Amino acid sequence: MDNLTVSSSPHLTERRNTTRLVMLDALIALFPCVFAATLFYGYQVILNLAVCCAACLGAELLYDLIRAKSFGREGVRQSTCWDLSCLVTGVILTLNLPAYAEIWGLNLKDAAGGILLSFDALLAVLVGGAFAVVLVKKLFGGIGRNFANPAVTARIFLMLCFSAGFVVSSTWADFGLFAKSGATWLGTDAGARPGLSGKLFLSMILGNVSTMSVGETSLIAIGLGLLYLTVRKRIDPRYPLMTVGCAFLFSLLFAGIDGADNASALFGDALAQVLSGGLLFMAVFMATDFSTSPNTLVGNAVFSGGLALLTVLIRRYGLYPEGASFALLLMNILAPLIDRYIVPRPFGYVKAKRPAQKKDAPQAPGKPDIPDKTKKREEGKA
Amino acid sequence: MQNSFPRGVHPGDRKALTKDKPIVPMPAPAVVYIPLVQHLGKPALPVVKERQKVAMGELIAKADGALSGNIHSSVSGHVRGVETLPTHTGSAAHIVVENDWLYTEKRLRPLKNPKPADILERVETAGIVGLGGAGFPVAVKLRPKTAVDTLIINAAECEPYITCDYRILLEYTARFVSGCRLLMRALSLENGIIGIEDNKRDAAAVVEAYIKDENISDLSVRALPAKYPQGAEKQLIFAVTGRVVPSGDLPADAGVIVHNAHTALAVHDAVCEGIPLYRRVMTVSGEGVKQPGNFLAPVGATLNDALIFAGGLDDRKRVVKMLWGGPMMGFALSGGGVSITKTAGCLLLLTEAEAETASPTACINCGRCHRACPMRLMPMYIDKYIFMDDAAAAVRYGAKHCIECGACAYVCPAKRTLVQSIRLAKKQIRERGL
Repeated sequence: MDNLTVSSSPHLTERRNTTRLVMLDALIALFPCVFAATLFYGYQVILNLAVCCAACLGAELLYDLIRAKSFGREGVRQSTCWDLSCLVTGVILTLNLPAYAEIWGLNLKDAAGGILLSFDALLAVLVGGAFAVVLVKKLFGGIGRNFANPAVTARIFLMLCFSAGFVVSSTWADFGLFAKSGATWLGTDAGARPGLSGKLFLSMILGNVSTMSVGETSLIAIGLGLLYLTVRKRIDPRYPLMTVGCAFLFSLLFAGIDGADNASALFGDALAQVLSGGLLFMAVFMATDFSTSPNTLVGNAVFSGGLALLTVLIRRYGLYPEGASFALLLMNILAPLIDRYIVPRPFGYVKAKRPAQKKDAPQAPGKPDIPDKTKKREEGKA
Repeated sequence: MQNSFPRGVHPGDRKALTKDKPIVPMPAPAVVYIPLVQHLGKPALPVVKERQKVAMGELIAKADGALSGNIHSSVSGHVRGVETLPTHTGSAAHIVVENDWLYTEKRLRPLKNPKPADILERVETAGIVGLGGAGFPVAVKLRPKTAVDTLIINAAECEPYITCDYRILLEYTARFVSGCRLLMRALSLENGIIGIEDNKRDAAAVVEAYIKDENISDLSVRALPAKYPQGAEKQLIFAVTGRVVPSGDLPADAGVIVHNAHTALAVHDAVCEGIPLYRRVMTVSGEGVKQPGNFLAPVGATLNDALIFAGGLDDRKRVVKMLWGGPMMGFALSGGGVSITKTAGCLLLLTEAEAETASPTACINCGRCHRACPMRLMPMYIDKYIFMDDAAAAVRYGAKHCIECGACAYVCPAKRTLVQSIRLAKKQIRERGL
């Protein structure tokens, strides 16, 4: 009984509850999406994933080593990269990009001109992963301190840099709904969009459609991820549902404003808006990112509503079809403000009562003491 | 009706170690060191001289002020003097009494059919303070300034490990119920509710059966879901009556008075048997103890005495923490030389596998602390801003309302020392007059 630890209460904490396990749960929840993406878009997804995760982990480790100026075993051990949050960033970023890219012409092609191995895509995710971890996360203080979601920022960075270079990922069977070049439903002009049929919705639910982002199409895979995170109590399922619900309502609203004249056009469009594009994936995996979303129920309702509104607005009236990413980035920046002004009242809170003011009155003569004390303390510190 | 409070956490109750151990009287040591601070207020004033002979139960120090309490000797023998010794929270003067092993007892006159005023007077004389841990003098609570309609007996015992109230309910049922009714009589109330967590259903059943047998109609048992901090006063009041005590107000302002289960027992002993408060039931538990159990411990014996009575430390295990009180709100001690007081409900010796000793990592802003907080505060921001020396921001996120239950730090995946930060914030808020 010699070396007793004397510390502040509580002396118990929840077992099997560490940052690393939280991140591990996120990785497990992302697995169905990785699986679906590989199934629909090919082995290139796995290669991208490996390179992106390695880039994220390596960048964080290197950053920590350089910051700590300790390159030995101890420095490696103390790096924050082992909390695995960088891998979550890597997986989400990969799932948010197309499988193939043609930027520098380094791709390995078969005789027919199809891409066998896209070195361009590998290079792009390498740059993107390092960008996400170093510039978006570590420079702002690491985990919990970043102002924007690293994956979404890196995605926007890559999309803006190489907007022409990314190739829309076609699946092995997109029912011939789109032209051969491969266009996404959202990316096609409203007039040229294929009719809203049951077949289209079915393939949207399965994820078997052309897309710019490999991970965001399969409703089933995303649903499984949401279910896992909910069961493990890592996120509150109400938040993604609020985002998607709001997006549906706003789509209806704007379709109505724009003059959709029959119910099928109205609801079909709203449904497709929700099912297609990055909204679902973003709502479940990215908008629930701890660091960059509010912490209260009301705050999250505001966040989700704003996110849905911006997404629909950008998709409908903006130049970029992929409105979800920009919307999320904008809302990320607003999140600290939301938490600043939407603070729940403590249990049993009452507004300052009259007697409280009376109490102040006799204290008035003593008041100068208080600033003096503060001053003294500050002087002492200096 | 409401039977729980919002939020809270579910730590495993870990009561199996001592749940089935009957209360055993623990013998007093050769010398007892009785602290003069065993209550909230000022230290009691000694009324004995050096070498004076005292009996067990004799008054040795008198209450000084409203929040102070009388103190009685727990053994018979001679007063050696007054010494300043460490306590679990600092240091205090202790009256040292040498045990003569005769146990000559001095009791007060037992009261039959006492009037409310008699009960009040006896509670004061017997030095009864709240035995839940805070040590608030009971007599003060029995004189509410506002109209009160309900008495709640707090038998929730929501902290893991502790089983003393549970054993009291099981073994001293009659005395406990009599104590509850005396408290009700003192307050002239006709509605008493015993709040107990549903992981102690057997104790609840025993008390309920007794109440039914005795045809007591004004007392009832309410089972509450096992959730921490169910035993926190405001949370308990909300769970049992659905009333919210406004912050800064006393429970009496919501028409409720809450007393601990052990307090009720002490009231019965003082009123009906004339025994002042100089002993209490205490749980000695944790994986580090050889024979954990529930002991009727004399005030003034040291924790080491209690530990030796419990068979000492288990040599095969490495004890990393010694706790005064429960693991969620208790105090970590550096050694067992501290005296047992009226408020010492539990001594814990936790091994490495039980106690948390991990060092904190960066906050990931997951918001679990906020979702666990029974007071609806935002501990993550209080923690963040107090490290930036911004006490005003800590006030904004509710630091003043914190009850220090530890639910936030319990669920924190980054193992942040949130409660410690909030205590620091409270201190700075006080100093700056915010």
